[in-house]
Amino acid sequence: MKQLLQLKLGDLNLGSLNTAPLKRPYVALMMDVIGRGLEASSQVDANIKREVQKLPDGFMFDMRALPSGPCFVMEKNADGNLSYIGSEAPRKPDVSLKFKHLNHAFLVLSFQEGTARAFANDRILVDGEIAHAMKLVRCLNRMESLILPKFVAVRALKRYPQLSLKQKLAGGGKIYSRLAKNLVWG
Amino acid sequence: MTKSYYEFFCPVKIVAGNAALEHIPHELRTLAAARPMIITDKGVRGAGLIDHVLGAFAESGMDVVEIYDDVPPDSSTTVVTQIAKLYRDSGCDSIIAVGGGSVIDTSKGVNILVSEDGEDLTAFSGVGVLTKPLKPFFVVPTTAGTGSEVTLVAVIADPEKGVKLPFTSYFLLPNAAVLDPRMTLTLPAHITAMTAMDAMTHAVEAFTGMGKNPISDAYAVSAIKKISENLMQVLNTPDDADARLELAQASTMAGIAFSNSMVGLVHSLGHSLGALCHLPHGLCMNLFLPYVLEYNLAERGDVIGELLLPLAGAEVYARTPAADRGRAAINTLREIRDELYRRCKLPRSLSETGKVSRDQIQKLAEMALDDGSIIFNPVEVDLDDAISVLEKAW
Ligand SMILES: [Fe+2]
Repeated sequence: MKQLLQLKLGDLNLGSLNTAPLKRPYVALMMDVIGRGLEASSQVDANIKREVQKLPDGFMFDMRALPSGPCFVMEKNADGNLSYIGSEAPRKPDVSLKFKHLNHAFLVLSFQEGTARAFANDRILVDGEIAHAMKLVRCLNRMESLILPKFVAVRALKRYPQLSLKQKLAGGGKIYSRLAKNLVWG
Repeated sequence: MTKSYYEFFCPVKIVAGNAALEHIPHELRTLAAARPMIITDKGVRGAGLIDHVLGAFAESGMDVVEIYDDVPPDSSTTVVTQIAKLYRDSGCDSIIAVGGGSVIDTSKGVNILVSEDGEDLTAFSGVGVLTKPLKPFFVVPTTAGTGSEVTLVAVIADPEKGVKLPFTSYFLLPNAAVLDPRMTLTLPAHITAMTAMDAMTHAVEAFTGMGKNPISDAYAVSAIKKISENLMQVLNTPDDADARLELAQASTMAGIAFSNSMVGLVHSLGHSLGALCHLPHGLCMNLFLPYVLEYNLAERGDVIGELLLPLAGAEVYARTPAADRGRAAINTLREIRDELYRRCKLPRSLSETGKVSRDQIQKLAEMALDDGSIIFNPVEVDLDDAISVLEKAW
């Protein structure tokens, strides 16, 4: 698994940064995975629930690569969880996290560059209220710590949280099974 | 680290030193402006500082057309609209902000309205809304701290909605920052101390944070050295124009550093404390600085240790073993704070402020987590971490 994943990331990085043909579909796929992962984890993880609770009702955000996507859109629903809307926002989102280039989205979504590092490196533009964006960043970090293998997550996060294997399996497992249910039930 | 990346940008002309104010008319002329408006506050005017600026226009073939001197400490969109009307009615073509953070932010707001020919400032709030250069805009800082003369942001309150509107654009940067020693000469000791510690914090957080880069580093280190060498000198001899100018330059240099490298947890906590307990920004910076550095020390000790050189000088640096330099740098900052407490009662802890109650710590921590600068702190901070730093700062 470890070698396989590294091999794949390595392949994508070979040659010129710009020409890898798989980057756009990879970013689109990962945005879909993250959107669904956030939806599932907002239903089961206490930390993420706590963050989402503090967002206004009907709050909508997206994450996109400039200039023309890919993109994923989430909304806080009536149950107080995050719903994955898809790749098209029905209105101007309250917060928009915009990667300046597809490659910057790729670096972050292939977990080679952490979210905080991407902010520090001026890769991301935030449109909307910063306090809300900070809550989203914490949700993303939390989800990554739960669902990613530790050897990947430690590179993406400033600090890998103290999760016992049990917590990790339980948290990650719940997210995966919720993910599966959400996929089946639509 | 072949994967590192950074951006650095500062197009502000620095006009600094003896008789710097007298360069303003010429600088205006090169930008095809001839009818400047001065924006300032009552304190600055009362201290006679506007007279220096007006004096600089004598024999220049150019006059200051209008003076607005009533900017409040917490400016608002209402004030901005009012000043913009005055600007238009008087047929001005450029702005000279003379003051501290509030005057400068207000002036940035006025420049948006008069340049975009708008009435409603809220329409221009956000990132990248402005798309073209604004009117010629000069800043003459009268405190040595905020660095607003070289930052591309402004925060202005909207009293109707009860929110603070952020404005971010390269076009908000002034054309020139004018640093004249006369303008900070009469700054009272406690404000001199607070604002200098704000500048110190800008430089320290820029140098130790996630957005650190080699160009910002150069500015940050020089700023720290100037502040360490001149702050006590200025407090001892308030009319030492050279030392005053050193502090003013340090403040601008620290501003350049942090507007490119950003700040960290000191500012996250300080913004929360300032908002919740209505304490001045520089006071909050001075208060939290060592506690945050101690929090970051385990992971960032080597980088913090490099600051011992500009803070304490070559001899101390050379005789301190590399492994102890981070701790020694923090101790040097603590000594500066102790001295400032002795001289002007600048609080070193939350309890010393006399304005914070212990049950506010939870709320302060929650607010700090939602502050944008926390993401640039080199060490991750969760709610418990923020609470523990606040407890130590109690
Ligand atoms: Fe500051």
